[in-house]
Amino acid sequence: MSLIEIKDLKVHYPIRTGFWNRITDSVRAVDGITFNIEAGETYGLVGESGSGKSTTGKSVVGLEKVTSGSILYKGQDITKADNRRKLDYNRDVQMIFQDSLSSLNPRKRIEDIIAEPLRNFEHLSKDDEKLRVLQLLDIVGLDADALYKYPHQFSGGQRQRIGVARAVATNPKLIIADEPVSALDLSVQAQVLNFMKKIQREFGISYLFISHDLGVVRHMCNNIAIMNRGRLVEIGTRDDIYNHPLHIYTKRLLAAIPETNVNQREAHRASRLAVEKVYQEQQSKYYDDDGEAYPLVQITKTHAVALPQALAQQLATQEGEVQA
Amino acid sequence: MAENFEQHSDISAADLARLSQEAQAEATPSTAKIIWSEFKADRPAMVALFIIVGFIAFVMVGALFINTPKMMETNIMAYFNQPFTPEFWLGADSGGRSVAKQLIVGSRNSIGIAIGLTIVSSTFGICWGLISGYFNGYIDWGMQRVYDFMMMLPMTMMIIVLVTIIPHYNSVTLTFIFSIFYWEGTSRLIRSRTLAESEKDYVAASRTSGTSHWKIIFREIMPNISSLIIVDCTLSFAENIGVETGLSYLGFGLPSQTPSLGTMISNANDPNNITQYWWTWLPAALEIIILCLAISYVGQVLRRAADASQRQGAAD
Ligand SMILES: Nc1ncnc2c1ncn2[C@@H]1O[C@H](COP(=O)(O)OP(=O)(O)OP(=O)(O)O)[C@@H](O)[C@H]1O
Ligand SMILES: [Mg+2]
Repeated sequence: MSLIEIKDLKVHYPIRTGFWNRITDSVRAVDGITFNIEAGETYGLVGESGSGKSTTGKSVVGLEKVTSGSILYKGQDITKADNRRKLDYNRDVQMIFQDSLSSLNPRKRIEDIIAEPLRNFEHLSKDDEKLRVLQLLDIVGLDADALYKYPHQFSGGQRQRIGVARAVATNPKLIIADEPVSALDLSVQAQVLNFMKKIQREFGISYLFISHDLGVVRHMCNNIAIMNRGRLVEIGTRDDIYNHPLHIYTKRLLAAIPETNVNQREAHRASRLAVEKVYQEQQSKYYDDDGEAYPLVQITKTHAVALPQALAQQLATQEGEVQA
Repeated sequence: MAENFEQHSDISAADLARLSQEAQAEATPSTAKIIWSEFKADRPAMVALFIIVGFIAFVMVGALFINTPKMMETNIMAYFNQPFTPEFWLGADSGGRSVAKQLIVGSRNSIGIAIGLTIVSSTFGICWGLISGYFNGYIDWGMQRVYDFMMMLPMTMMIIVLVTIIPHYNSVTLTFIFSIFYWEGTSRLIRSRTLAESEKDYVAASRTSGTSHWKIIFREIMPNISSLIIVDCTLSFAENIGVETGLSYLGFGLPSQTPSLGTMISNANDPNNITQYWWTWLPAALEIIILCLAISYVGQVLRRAADASQRQGAAD
């Protein structure tokens, strides 16, 4: 059984208008997505800004009111607050936030910030609690004198480490990492990512790794889902997505990864423009009449893409993939 | 599970005392210290603070030694006694009552009401705003309709009506009557900040850390809008001195047998008093001006202390 099973999850935000404040329409931030996260793996969720990644992540930690669908953990549907309470769900599922500064209460000392989940879930003695906080600081590579400081006294990278320390405090099974490094500069990104990996090895944590950057995801994730306008357009292993992308949206994201090799810049630019051209011209082929993504069809055991059956087959044979 | 952490960190129970001591040495100053150093850096504000605290303490204690009913007895012999005489430092009014003594008791009454009103209405307004802003949705909608309804009522007229139909009232009842109408401004202000604050990720992080809604509202969000609360409270305090004074001046505040700054200023209703017997109203008027100025000065310093970028004192 998978650690988390997300089934046909929908999150719609009502738009209210008029004198009676009635619901006249809705923003379909997440519109029917299904995937599973296995224990110990890093699952990548990729898409451009506004595609509903954060909303998905927040639904999985239980922060978002879900419109329909279910999220199963230990056989229970945790979209219901009752079940979350019964399971002490957030002891096992935590989140690292996109903006490290706003995710740390500016009025609280680091000790109180990191100890917060411990106080609610573990009820340790005062000394044990302080010891645990010091150990956590040590694990994320911060000095003990951080204990009584405030968040604004740290750099972005250090703050993100504090966020990580808080997330691992209760030794959870799954951490939702919502663009944990996108606010950091490149050298610090690598640092934080490496040490997220280290913690994963040591504590056996699974990540749902949310990012808009396929370049970063490549280093982190075994399985990847590509999200576009609230729907999944392609699911596959790292190899499926990077080496055999089928959906034009995936190809477009891949083309957007900056090329570091100077000699190939020109070629890279040309291929990116080609992909962009196809994307502009063949919208109708890849999306249905309402401009929305098709339902997923399975190509191989691991690989699925949101295209009409026939087109999917055709593209798959072009890519040379074996039919499942 | 603790073993799991033990394995991956070199820190053990033995280091605990040493490390927490080291951390203590590096700790950042507390808010109270920051506010204090901000006062020390601003002389006029320091003076203002002493004026306010000293004056309030003086009238509170001084009033205890004055027998009010006896003081309010008419004394024909002292009819409009000149000020600066040994018996009447600030002279006497048309009833031959000592202005200085009335000023002390009157200030105690007026300031007492202002403090009570600030405490009651601000506490209520802050809670209302915090809850309304945090829960959003239907709760917010309902609470805002109540707010709208209260705002629709003509405030001064309602107070006058209430005061007229309630047969016996004293400072305490009056404070509560005022409070009914003075929490709205605070609640709106607090609500709008709470709405913004609730969107921030630290609130979400507290929720995923298992913290309850009430704790999040009062222990996480409230400290973050504390600067707004402090500034709003000081300014409402200055404003609230005016509330009672104004109504008493119009004759709808405290009964005339109870001296207050308002009843004293209403001596100026008589043109004779304005020019000839200036000592009957001028001290009370000056007192209000000085107090309000001093309070707004202190409010400014508090605002600065709350906003790190404007600090003048050497903090951090
Ligand atoms: N509280 C809300 N009310 C209404 N609409 C919302 C709300 N939160 C998000 N949305 C909408 O839902 C969509 C998805 O938002 P979401 O934050 O999940 O995007 P995202 O993929 O995380 O983007 P980014 O990469 O910029 O973080 C957006 O179009 C956004 O406008
Ligand atoms: Mg996001």
